[in-house]
Amino acid sequence: MNSRDRVLAALKGEAVDRPPVISVCQHATYEQMDELGAAWPEAHARGDKMAALAMGGFTMLGLDAVRVPFCQTHEAEALGAKIKDAGRTGVPSVEVHPYKIGDQPQFPDDFLERGRIPQLLQAVRILKENIGDQVIIIGGIVGPYTVATNLVGIDDMLRTSFKKPEKVVPFLELAEKAGTVLANALVEAGADVICVEDMMTSLDLVSPKIYRSLAAPYEKKQFSGINAPTIIHICGKLDAIMTDIAETGPSAISIEPVVDVKLALEEFSKKGIKMPLIGGVDPVRTLFSGTPEEVRREVEKALEDGFSMISPGCSVAPASPLENLLAIVDTVKEKK
Amino acid sequence: MEALAISNYDNIFKRYDLVSEGSGQGIMATAKDADLQKIMECVIEGETDDILGLVDEALTKLDPMVIINDALIKGMNEVSRLWDEGTYYLPQVILASDAMLAGIELCEKKMGKSMEKKGIVVTHTAEGDIHDLGQKIVNALLRANGYEVIDLGKDVPVDTVVNAVKQYKPVMVTGTALMTTTMTAFEKISNRLSAAGLEIPFVCGGGAVSEEYVTGYKLGVFGKDASQAPGMAADAVNGGTWQELREKYNG
Repeated sequence: MNSRDRVLAALKGEAVDRPPVISVCQHATYEQMDELGAAWPEAHARGDKMAALAMGGFTMLGLDAVRVPFCQTHEAEALGAKIKDAGRTGVPSVEVHPYKIGDQPQFPDDFLERGRIPQLLQAVRILKENIGDQVIIIGGIVGPYTVATNLVGIDDMLRTSFKKPEKVVPFLELAEKAGTVLANALVEAGADVICVEDMMTSLDLVSPKIYRSLAAPYEKKQFSGINAPTIIHICGKLDAIMTDIAETGPSAISIEPVVDVKLALEEFSKKGIKMPLIGGVDPVRTLFSGTPEEVRREVEKALEDGFSMISPGCSVAPASPLENLLAIVDTVKEKK
Repeated sequence: MEALAISNYDNIFKRYDLVSEGSGQGIMATAKDADLQKIMECVIEGETDDILGLVDEALTKLDPMVIINDALIKGMNEVSRLWDEGTYYLPQVILASDAMLAGIELCEKKMGKSMEKKGIVVTHTAEGDIHDLGQKIVNALLRANGYEVIDLGKDVPVDTVVNAVKQYKPVMVTGTALMTTTMTAFEKISNRLSAAGLEIPFVCGGGAVSEEYVTGYKLGVFGKDASQAPGMAADAVNGGTWQELREKYNG
């Protein structure tokens, strides 16, 4: 099986020769930047550099998929947010939120021509042309609740979600549309799979009630509107909402190691849900601070626990050592 | 008075839709009299609209410090307990903190001065990090325990943190990182503070950092949970060094 067949089969819950190894969230590191001659901040803004750096996921890390972008700000920027550049070492972030609660936000007709979106689409085209016959290309978008949060700011988003939830609805509707339009443009440019990062719906931030009432319905709408398999990624301990997430209808769920995987799979099985789980490697304790041997043990445990695909549980910290990343793929291949 | 408090307690228990989300024990705190009870409830419920009128009314009868300690801070401590047991989530804590701070501001206005603080703590969320949520909890709990919080907010450049420490001379500085792509800023802050001779405990926490990472640089003390912050601040006020705090809370 080649990487493409392996990932697509795993996403459908079909048999594979070995579990695929991917990085659902960003996988660029400083070592890759040096080696590939493509570094941040250019690789956040220029399609050719973005593609060159993402290719490292395949050529240097041996992953079954590569992904772009490396940050989570494209939708917000195109919807009017002012973005702060973080130089060579970091990821761009939202500096000024374009709206406040009570505003009536509008979806711009030229959304796909705004900000760095044309460069992101260009990066996907380059990846497709160069390595698209060998590996899966993941296009990353940001989930509705998270984009909405980027539009109005986290404090007001959380306060209003709790007190006057109807007032965040216009932002959720806009955010869902923006993400879905971007996702389908990424698919058209060559992305095989869409990853939806909806990190603001972590239970570290919202309650299960807010997840169910304001996040899940828009995620569900988004997944049904995207013309490709989808992976949802949410950070943190999600035990209380794992079946709710599954019921929004992504192709697979990516989680951090703090989630009780066995419990989630049991709950799924009770409800007749067949949903592949992706993750298993702690990006901080193991990948960033640990040793290849610790990575190896964690990967082995993840396979035993029932992960269908192995991935870092969240964004790879860019200072993570290459040898730790390589240990993920090596371990899975040896276990085959 | 005691009986009244208990009957009020029953009411809140039923009334709070907030409680219905979790499987916790519900609201357990009661205040000393009916006015204080109502104010405390407002904090627990995060009723930022109603609290001002109630505090205003109570100020005609009660000492501002009594209102602060026995209603506003007491309510926030109950919120902290509900957070710890998993009944409350972040939005409730933010709203409760808003209500508490609005009430304290009114009381301070009446006193003509700020309430006496136990010490200053500078808090921030790492540069590039868009969620400053762990920090919100830390701020609320420190304030509820009588500390002055210099809240630098989210996505804070290293320079800003170092300058704030120079300017405010806090007993402790905290850093929160939730994104794995941003945590390395802490090491830079640690180096800069050390170089400037500002050797105060630098308590770091959040989903993106581990004890191994935080204790790998000078000044670093790993904060496992936001609820540890007031205890750490108390130790720092009492002269605890970063080494002593690390010894006590880590490893």
